[in-house]
Amino acid sequence: MSNNQRAWKLSHVILTVAVLLPGLAPAAEDIELLEQQAFQAAVERVAPSVVAIETVGGLEKVGKMLIGTGPTTGLIVDQDGYIVSSAFNFINKPASILVRLADGQRKPAELVASDRNRMLVLLKIPVDKPLPVPEIAPHGEMRVGQWTLAVGRTFEGDQPNVAVGILSAVNRVWGKAIQTDAAVSPSNYGGPLIDISGRVMGVLAPLSPKSANEMAGVEWYDSGIGMAVPADHLLKILPRLKKGEDLHTGLMGIAFASRNLATADAVIGACPPNSPSYGAGFRAKDKIIEIDGAKIARAAQVKEETSRRYAGQSILVAVMRGDKRIEHKLTLVAKLKPYQRPTLGIVPMRPLRSPPKPQPKPKKVEKKADEKPAKPSDAKPKETTAAEPEKPKKAKPVAKKPEPVAVRFVCPGGPAEKAGVKPGDQVVSLDGEPIKSIAALRAKVGQYLPGEELPLEVKRGSKTIKLTVKLATMPEDIPSGDLPTAHAPGKPIKDKLPAVGSVPLKLEKHENEVHAYVPANYNPTIPYGVVVWLHGEGGVDHAKLIASWKPHCDRHELILLVPKSADPAKWADDDPKMIGAAVRKLASTYAVDVARVAVCGQGDGGKLAYQLAFNPRSSIAAVATIATPQQPGKAPDTNPRRRLAIYIATAGKESELSRIDRAVAELREMKHPVIVKRLGETPRDLTPAETAELARWFDTLDRI
Amino acid sequence: MTLTWIASLLLCLSALPAAAEAVRSHSPVTETIDLAQAKMVKIWGAGGYRGMEAYQSGMLISPDGHILTVWSYVLDTDYITTILGDGRKFEAKLLGADPRLELAVLKIEAEELPHFELEKAAELNAGTRVLAFSNLFGVATGNEPTSVQHGVVSVVTTLKARRGVFETPYNGPVYVIDAATNNPGAAGGALLTRQGRLAGMLGKELRNSLSNTWLNYAMPVGELRKSIDQIRTGKFIARENDDAQDKPEEPLKLAMLGILMIPDVLQRTPPYVDHVDSGSAAAEAGVKPDDLVLMINDRLIQSCKTLDGELEFIDREDSVKLTVLRGPELLEFTLRAAR
Repeated sequence: MSNNQRAWKLSHVILTVAVLLPGLAPAAEDIELLEQQAFQAAVERVAPSVVAIETVGGLEKVGKMLIGTGPTTGLIVDQDGYIVSSAFNFINKPASILVRLADGQRKPAELVASDRNRMLVLLKIPVDKPLPVPEIAPHGEMRVGQWTLAVGRTFEGDQPNVAVGILSAVNRVWGKAIQTDAAVSPSNYGGPLIDISGRVMGVLAPLSPKSANEMAGVEWYDSGIGMAVPADHLLKILPRLKKGEDLHTGLMGIAFASRNLATADAVIGACPPNSPSYGAGFRAKDKIIEIDGAKIARAAQVKEETSRRYAGQSILVAVMRGDKRIEHKLTLVAKLKPYQRPTLGIVPMRPLRSPPKPQPKPKKVEKKADEKPAKPSDAKPKETTAAEPEKPKKAKPVAKKPEPVAVRFVCPGGPAEKAGVKPGDQVVSLDGEPIKSIAALRAKVGQYLPGEELPLEVKRGSKTIKLTVKLATMPEDIPSGDLPTAHAPGKPIKDKLPAVGSVPLKLEKHENEVHAYVPANYNPTIPYGVVVWLHGEGGVDHAKLIASWKPHCDRHELILLVPKSADPAKWADDDPKMIGAAVRKLASTYAVDVARVAVCGQGDGGKLAYQLAFNPRSSIAAVATIATPQQPGKAPDTNPRRRLAIYIATAGKESELSRIDRAVAELREMKHPVIVKRLGETPRDLTPAETAELARWFDTLDRI
Repeated sequence: MTLTWIASLLLCLSALPAAAEAVRSHSPVTETIDLAQAKMVKIWGAGGYRGMEAYQSGMLISPDGHILTVWSYVLDTDYITTILGDGRKFEAKLLGADPRLELAVLKIEAEELPHFELEKAAELNAGTRVLAFSNLFGVATGNEPTSVQHGVVSVVTTLKARRGVFETPYNGPVYVIDAATNNPGAAGGALLTRQGRLAGMLGKELRNSLSNTWLNYAMPVGELRKSIDQIRTGKFIARENDDAQDKPEEPLKLAMLGILMIPDVLQRTPPYVDHVDSGSAAAEAGVKPDDLVLMINDRLIQSCKTLDGELEFIDREDSVKLTVLRGPELLEFTLRAAR
């Protein structure tokens, strides 16, 4: 038993002693007996409608919680064989469900539908005669403090079990539940909460305002906090459940600007284009002030209003945009549509960085014998995976100057070309918002849907040109045509440069051999992209690989990073950490653009590449696999904040590739852009032309 | 909860200010409690480490110092200390114990003590309001009286019904209580009606493996009386847990009926029939592959493992009733192994 529960039990004791003090006047004994008789009569009245549910097969544990095998409770709600119960009773996903009626008859049951918001399920059993349906207590008659009885049918024998308490509250878990202090637990979840006349007030279920999963609220069992879904609500949703319709919590799909929902204004922080809120016309920075007429003063109230509503339900939302009141109707959804990134069809010029300042010499007095000079990346050796290369700490607290966004390349056939954008143009504003950096432009574009038409202002020479651009979906191709240099000529550097060409990297915590190719004309004011090459079974000859990539790295300003697994036959479980360390090591010495780190796996190395890139916390911009026999694993949901491009070069017979094709179809369904190439039936290396094309793809990862 | 209760009490009191005083002095429950507290005993003995409390509860059942309590490690010492309701302290002697019922009788040297009369014990139904007295969590220190809780009998049920559900040798009927009565130190406490009649003795802490919840329960006095009398009259012969004796020497195996189940590969493999030998008892009765075995002799079978366990209790000479689910249909077969 948890301490928490013991504490609850204790408080129960203290309280019960307190309660016993005042009995009632001379006739008290009679009243007590009358109450007792009323309890028993009430249970007797509802008992025929309370059934036991037995399950066969299923999981033994869900999460860390051991699931009981014992009977649970259900309540007949329709004479034709419909029985409602708590979703908690079925979290073990049983193979088969049996219902034992009050008269002992057993019937096989099927699960008709579930309410994922109230955590209820509807079962159906075959009937040969009408089942006894209980009387419902009118919701309006409920008064906090009235007697309530929680009824289950989970113990051996033909009698239901009962727990007595009072109604503690009528409006709980955002209005979804009524609360009782009667003992509620797996021994009566799914059973009715009745009043002293035996009328059903609600169906007992573990519900918690803290979490929405099936287990939430179970931690309160027998604690004096018991929840029930009101019967009148149940009657409302019953027709939909009977039709087999699963009900889900409705989502608006917004994130608030503040984390402190309890006190902050309901200002929308993010309103992704795939959300119903965006579709209805709301945007970030709007302040929600009303939902269906209810005044909203704090962010938490929005949650209160939406949490009890179902997907498919429409709500009228009023917001303040500046000092203007805007009202839109929006329909809540169960699940957001996958986010599809729109594109403008340009590759921007990359701004040069300021040359690195020479590191201040450590003061000798403070230096201890074993201390290494602090490098930015060594300061905090976080154990992270390659998925999240640590940003090299910038030692320049200088106010950011606006970086004009110049167009390096206009993708042929893309929206920008159609709108008339030319290489060399400077983006001034999009949809009226001045654009001050590449990141700002990318974020701005990410707020729209493909197909939206937006005013675009560009500066060409001294002229400002007003254009209209129609955003498109990110195309699944490698932009054709010649890519001009990505930046203005690098500034000359006086300081001594780190080693260039093929350089070995020594990692502190890992023994692995790691090599990198740094372009011979390396200039620290130029941000370099990184391609992490993950070899396949049998390892890699890094010198040969670097030789084949050298011209492309020089041309496209890429650094090739070649880590090796300790055992050439396979990558080890902690190699993601090693690769992360290698990327950080590289970034601590060279000018690396952390937003353009890509992983490229050959053969079996592709499996690790997918693993690294598909980590939801990863910031890897692209993953390429070459003749990888494994199919891509589960990719993270697309979202406006993270870009992920996928390139898959497959090898094998058509029949062998169908699994990979199915996985690719799934990725596309999730709106990930995927480029697929066929290498033929036998796995092989990329040809020089294919390597050149792949390098060009890496160079366009920052396209917008 | 505490707050709501107190709030409702305050409401009640403020509405009837004049009645409150009368209520307080005349309440039958407070009288019941006063009388009962004099008969309660706090017991200290062995334990006190690794979460094993060195105390439990008990009650006087004779004027000359017989104390009923639970049989536990606490009594596994030569120095059992008892404190009576009036605060007097006595060393107690273990008179005897019945491990099957998990009860023990202690004896102290005293006379004319207030006590519960076992022969006048009440039998309870579900819904009956009850009071529980015990020294749960040892909150009553020194000569403080035991703690009192209230609740109702949730259900009258039996712990025997399914093997392996409750880890206790006691498998008779119990009163399940809707209050958190069974906590460390509470075992041996008294369950009373609100009129003060003894109904049961609180049992040890017990987890219900069917629902993975803690069970609050008391054993009816009627179930304990015979054993108590035997201990008091010195006739007691300790009985062993006889569960194992129910097992036949030669238990039934499904293969004898011609049934082969699917391989038991999961924690809870649903017990599906994999194969039925042609010409076997099962084939003749009409059992078919893919039937899901739900019950054997009316005991629910939830997995291949419990099926094997249940079979150990069935003699191969006896006929056996099999309930299976085939599609949506429940079917029953009575089978007997071929000789």
